[in-house]
Amino acid sequence: MTPLVLALVALPCVYWTEGVESKARLEAASIKRICVAPEQVDAWRAAGFSVSPITAAELASREVLPGPGVTARAGLASPTRAPWIVANGWRFSRNAGAKYVYDVAPGTAALAAAEAFAYDADAILKIDPADLQAVGAMMTFLNGVPAADLPAIADLAVVDDGAAVTGEVMNLLARRNLLFKVVKAPSPEFRINIALGTPDYPLQEAADPSAFAQKIRRQLTDQQRSVRVYGSEIVICRLTGDRQRVRLHLINYGGAEIDGLRIRLRGAYRGGEAYIAGAGRVALEDQVVANGATEFSIPRLTTYAVIDLTGVH
Amino acid sequence: MHRRTFFRLLAAAAAPTSLVTSRRRLATPLRAKAQSSQIPSGLPVLRVVSSYAPAPMPGMPGPYPGRVVSVKSEKCVDTATGTANDEVVREMMARGMRTLTGARTTPDAWRRFFQPSDQVGIKVNCGGYPYCISAYEIVAEVVRQLTGIGVRASQIYVYERFQNQMDEVNYAPHLPEGVQIVAAERANRNVDNSGYDPAVYLEADLFGEDDTRSSMMRLVSTRLTKIINIPNMKDHGAAGVTGCLKNIAYGSFSNVARTHQRGKSHTYSVIGTLASIEPLRSRTVLQIMDGLRGVWHGGPFARTAKYVFYPRQIMFGTDPVAIDRLLLDIIEHERRAHGAISIWDRSPASLKMDDSQARDEDPNVNILIREPGHVEYASTFGLGVYDRSKITIEGVTV
Repeated sequence: MTPLVLALVALPCVYWTEGVESKARLEAASIKRICVAPEQVDAWRAAGFSVSPITAAELASREVLPGPGVTARAGLASPTRAPWIVANGWRFSRNAGAKYVYDVAPGTAALAAAEAFAYDADAILKIDPADLQAVGAMMTFLNGVPAADLPAIADLAVVDDGAAVTGEVMNLLARRNLLFKVVKAPSPEFRINIALGTPDYPLQEAADPSAFAQKIRRQLTDQQRSVRVYGSEIVICRLTGDRQRVRLHLINYGGAEIDGLRIRLRGAYRGGEAYIAGAGRVALEDQVVANGATEFSIPRLTTYAVIDLTGVH
Repeated sequence: MHRRTFFRLLAAAAAPTSLVTSRRRLATPLRAKAQSSQIPSGLPVLRVVSSYAPAPMPGMPGPYPGRVVSVKSEKCVDTATGTANDEVVREMMARGMRTLTGARTTPDAWRRFFQPSDQVGIKVNCGGYPYCISAYEIVAEVVRQLTGIGVRASQIYVYERFQNQMDEVNYAPHLPEGVQIVAAERANRNVDNSGYDPAVYLEADLFGEDDTRSSMMRLVSTRLTKIINIPNMKDHGAAGVTGCLKNIAYGSFSNVARTHQRGKSHTYSVIGTLASIEPLRSRTVLQIMDGLRGVWHGGPFARTAKYVFYPRQIMFGTDPVAIDRLLLDIIEHERRAHGAISIWDRSPASLKMDDSQARDEDPNVNILIREPGHVEYASTFGLGVYDRSKITIEGVTV
């Protein structure tokens, strides 16, 4: 399978229930690929669309995801600095092969599309028709991002026992950009292996997953983190890469554009460019390599950006 | 009325990448040594990153450490209306500057600090709008004196962190054409970072926040050669008072609201540390504390006239610590006069965490344990003289 095909497969699919007479609306939004009920497949294909059939049963069998974004949760998160984020990346990391369906609230479909793309998730988007333009623009952007089939980079491992509390720990780790790999048993690859219920990580501690994530952060140390974000508390990262290059996904859950976001990546990287939804290909700014880390700023972050960098050896 | 376009000094105006690279120096510890028994233990680790070297004589404390000129006038503000008398303010400014410098003429006094080639920043305070901001009359007079000694209007930058506050205050109609009005962020929303220099910052993990950096405004690090600081005489819920140190420090760096939350304030050590970071420290050469009006409770804001008072004075100096040391007494005195708890009160009984409504309604409520000790702590960086017995006050009455 070529990288290009991989990229196409990773694009989330818009679930469309209206008949082919609605094709002008999809075309106006530049949406060319949809998922429809099997009986509608032929008509849509005849209309020139790339179509995937999906039965009601298959749709119902998919794990339903909450709409991503920021939400107010009194007493749990500050409304302005570190608000509560609903994000699904940890679910994708936990169940890499699973199939998902987003049933998103108006205004969040493009974010959902970006989130699914960033994690290579097999996801269908049930969207509000008012979001067609935004989703279409995001799909067009995602389609134009150069393919990259790179493994995820992690700083620690979480031993998955399938428990809900473990999932919540993963959620809060992801929220803090503490990159983890889900494993079935402790991995010698990592200095930190979180296995809930062990003396090092008692279950009681995980009852407060935010504090627990903070403990893990302290154990790892900020200096050893593969990625740091400065200038926002509502951007979640996914980092993939190998010895030659890395790809950083930046997902902005806040809804407001962020300018001058500063990124620190552990390791030395040169060159690099950002692909920013709504802005296209953009040069990185103020890039420096020092003390085993690479820092740069991106001039603006809309909903989503992909940054590719080449390793220095 | 006209309004010039506000703008931020964005990345394009900053030093090229190669320069930024060469200026960068990681891991420069700048913790003040404990010089006072009152310095509490358990201060957070603060890491300063800046490769700017200090000037031979840094602007703070400058040529007049421990020296404050206080110019008072009963006529400077109509306390019934809050309106300032422009003519009286001008005279207060002239007398203050001449007394501070010993110069025979007012222009000569300004020439002691500024040359026509300087790019001069005027750090105003807009947070106390509408009742207590850096007075239009003072800011306009500063600009008038600067242009009078040959600094072009286009080389003068009135600045504050937030554009929405600058919009509210709107200095433009009071200033000559060409004066730049600059804000780093549209508002206090933590989404605008381009106006800050990624190579000059304070790094600290204070409450477990993920964004651990506070970066200096690019305007300060890359454009300005001199800065005039014009704070107000205000109470502050986290710092005790907000005077010279707080205005220049928290008004020139990003992401500082993170220093105080849930009852705890790290302003004690962060304010002085930020003020000491180069090039801010070296370039801030003149302190003009606007005490025409003041706020004795509820600060730094002044959305109500309830806590406004009228010190009717302007203080001049180059030592921010000495001026703020006097400010502590002024705010404390005013609070006592109203029967309010001391700015030094650390009683849990006074604390209603995060309840700003209760704080605004009752001057005996704190929403944080205030840290007026930040003034003394700043002195441990050599920013000025804290010991009241070593501060010389020269009083002038207009």
